Amino acid sequence: MRSNLLRICFLFLLCAPISWAASSDSVDTHEFLLSNGLKLIIREDHRAPTVAHMTWYRAGSMDEVNGRTGVAHVLEHMMFKGTHKVKSGEFSRLVAAVGGRENAFTSRDYTAYFQQVEKSKLDEVIKLEADRMSNLNFDDAEFLKEIQVVMEERRLRTEDNPSSLLNESLMATAYMSSPYRHPVVGWMNDLQNMKAADARDWYRSWYAPNNATVVISGDVDPQQILQVVEKYYGVIAMKELPVRKPQIEPPQKGIKQVQVRAPADSAQLAMAWKVPRLEPGKLDDPEPYALELLTAVLDGYDNARLNRTLVKQEKVVNDVGVAYDMISRGPGLFLISVSMAKGKTIAQAQASIRKALDDLKQKGILESELKRIKVRILSDQIYKRDSIFGQAMEIGTTEMAGISWKDIDYILKKMQTITPEQVQAVAKKYLVDEGLTIAVLDPQARKSEVSKEGK
Amino acid sequence: MMKALKNSILVCLITLGCFATAHAILPIERLDSFKGSKGYLVQTKALPMVDIEVSIDAGHRFDPSGKSGLADMTAGLMNYGVKSDQGMLSEAQIADEIADLGANISLSVGGERTILRIRSLSRKDLRDRAVKLTAAMLSSPTYETKIVEREKQRTITNLLEAETKPEFILERRFKKSVYGNYPLGTTPTIKSVAAVSVNDLMQFHKQFYRSDRMIVSIVGDVDQAQANEIVQTLLQKIPQSGASIAQLPELQRSPVEPLAQREIQIPFDSQQAHITMGMTAVTRSNPDYFPLLVGNYVLGGGGFVSRLMAEVREKRGLAYSVFSYFAPGKDTGIFQAGLQTKSDQAAMALEVMSSTIAKFIADGPTPSELLAAKSNLVNGYPLRIDNNRKLLDNVSSIAWNDLPLDTMEIWTKQVEAVTLEQVSAAFQKYLAMDRMKIVVLGAKNK
Repeated sequence: MRSNLLRICFLFLLCAPISWAASSDSVDTHEFLLSNGLKLIIREDHRAPTVAHMTWYRAGSMDEVNGRTGVAHVLEHMMFKGTHKVKSGEFSRLVAAVGGRENAFTSRDYTAYFQQVEKSKLDEVIKLEADRMSNLNFDDAEFLKEIQVVMEERRLRTEDNPSSLLNESLMATAYMSSPYRHPVVGWMNDLQNMKAADARDWYRSWYAPNNATVVISGDVDPQQILQVVEKYYGVIAMKELPVRKPQIEPPQKGIKQVQVRAPADSAQLAMAWKVPRLEPGKLDDPEPYALELLTAVLDGYDNARLNRTLVKQEKVVNDVGVAYDMISRGPGLFLISVSMAKGKTIAQAQASIRKALDDLKQKGILESELKRIKVRILSDQIYKRDSIFGQAMEIGTTEMAGISWKDIDYILKKMQTITPEQVQAVAKKYLVDEGLTIAVLDPQARKSEVSKEGK
Repeated sequence: MMKALKNSILVCLITLGCFATAHAILPIERLDSFKGSKGYLVQTKALPMVDIEVSIDAGHRFDPSGKSGLADMTAGLMNYGVKSDQGMLSEAQIADEIADLGANISLSVGGERTILRIRSLSRKDLRDRAVKLTAAMLSSPTYETKIVEREKQRTITNLLEAETKPEFILERRFKKSVYGNYPLGTTPTIKSVAAVSVNDLMQFHKQFYRSDRMIVSIVGDVDQAQANEIVQTLLQKIPQSGASIAQLPELQRSPVEPLAQREIQIPFDSQQAHITMGMTAVTRSNPDYFPLLVGNYVLGGGGFVSRLMAEVREKRGLAYSVFSYFAPGKDTGIFQAGLQTKSDQAAMALEVMSSTIAKFIADGPTPSELLAAKSNLVNGYPLRIDNNRKLLDNVSSIAWNDLPLDTMEIWTKQVEAVTLEQVSAAFQKYLAMDRMKIVVLGAKNK
């Protein structure tokens, strides 16, 4: 697992001035607000004659209510099942006919739909996507088949996947009241009891131009595209959105633990601490940046602290990953997960992790470690510009978290100002037992263990 | 949660077509031959970065008997200690240097070839250091005993974990069926990894890591002179040739067999059954590659609009992911289809998948399906080449498979030229239901 530093897009290198062939983001990016509340962001990139078109709805699993977990994702599936004008399955056939690639994804924070096409086909996919923003119309029979597909997806990704089961229990344990406690795909029982009406209600509530951001990146003329977007999206009426309750997680008062028994060979351990996220309007708060840098100091490259000490030197774990995402709508979590080395115990792994963290808290980090991370962040920003789709992704995820793409430059500058002391300070302040949740995978032999071939 | 899985996308694509106006197809330039290697370049100047790939004819298929996993470890341990011009570099020093350069270096080992890739900023001082470090990795890895033992243990631990996963057991068994006695039928086991010694690594490296078995492909912000310099620096210390390498056997076509001999049922206690079927097929240079590519788009390659997707998922809700693809290599190639479904639906899902494939082999696509397939492939061609990474994938495949350098320019024409008769004839020539190997894992009877 890598941290999400990658999402910050920018263009200068720390160590020395370089003359860039590419121009800066702010010059190439344009934002428009339509009168119905739809936000349009266009990133020009003229290297190749292709375009990514993404429509983001600020409605993810965190907006669901009890008994209906998974409905955001189920609706995502149903969005391919027809509108008043386009019959079921036709959307995909039309996108395919123009050579497009398409898909959709749902997270805790949002639901997004995308097509990638050769630039002359952009109008066609805008027309199709705008149509299903307000004209979705699927029948109950389609729903009954598709809910089976979604349950197969849950079996594939979660039920038969011990790491996913562990993560699911970790989230449900770490959070008592925040809707982040529910899995995006939904609990199986909620899926079994979901009705077509639940999906339709969800659509009626959240699918509106004033809850959507359209991001287009690639070889386009912004003024021309604005007209096309006005023509198709601009006619959709805005809606009053449901009230979003804050559902702020109450402060944690001590260690929480959960154990998951599932078929596996190695034990796994996950340690997760409650930490702040980057809040809109508080971009000068150094803590989220320091936490991002801490993530990379621990796990940002092959010789980063945890891989070096736990995997290579002490050989107490087989693999280690550290994850933190400062850009999110919901509460922040700083996660260290490991799988055990042969013959090592959870207790040994936990002791080693704690020792490495204590060492960092007491002695701090080296200026050279931090500099290395900062260089990597900057070079990654150049590499990321190789992907037209990746640029649209970055703009969309940032916007969904309530932060403007225009602040991305500023965020990166702030990141470069963080000192070793600030990184040490967030480790001391937040990586403490008060806000810690521990999840352990206790591996079980499968009932019908297959004979190990070739042994 | 993605609506569909990535593996429904064809794995084997290459190349570029002609589209209009300002965006002419970037030409592939041949670099100077250096010490028996081959080199290719595509210049792209928009971003100050460069991608460099070294393909080494040293894939899994060269694993010696009883030492499956050796090719993997030979590559995977190259960056864990080297002798360089500046003396010995430890794994920590190598990792720090890569990080300090803001570069990425990755290694992957496939059935046919091993691939090393560098992504670096194109600024000369940074690029030079990345190339020099990589040259030392390629030519002079130390394979220190302590590190080899540690990594063997990690690999074994990962294998033990993998052996609890349905998809791993299915794939291992399928490979054994479809490749038979060809070396790719054998996959790493605890025992074969444990049997690998430092000496084996040294020997394998010496035998296979020679410049006459290497191809360098470069895409990015460098000119031809700089690219030639990169190739020379990379291969400077690598021997040009070595002892002769024993010829591999030919991959034998999957034989006609009664179902009982072709189908394997593996008991497994999971919520879903995993099902796969397939057989030997064609190499990338086979003239029937294009009819098969176009036909497979209709059968199971075309995302949400394929026949398998329609029959298995859209009409019956039996699976989240269902796919088919041809995986054509230089010397070997297979066809494979697969899905996962609730364990008590396995028999039904297998029946739907089999009959869909059988019908397609027998009848081929309809005229409108053929048109839709060509329309997607031709119109979507720009998306296969619209960044440096994708261009590198294309150049790399053209170079490895010995395809003509204008492959990208004529790709869409070759797709357009495919006829209904060619698709039907090719599917009937290469695929046959009475030759298909089938593996079903975790099926439960209702």
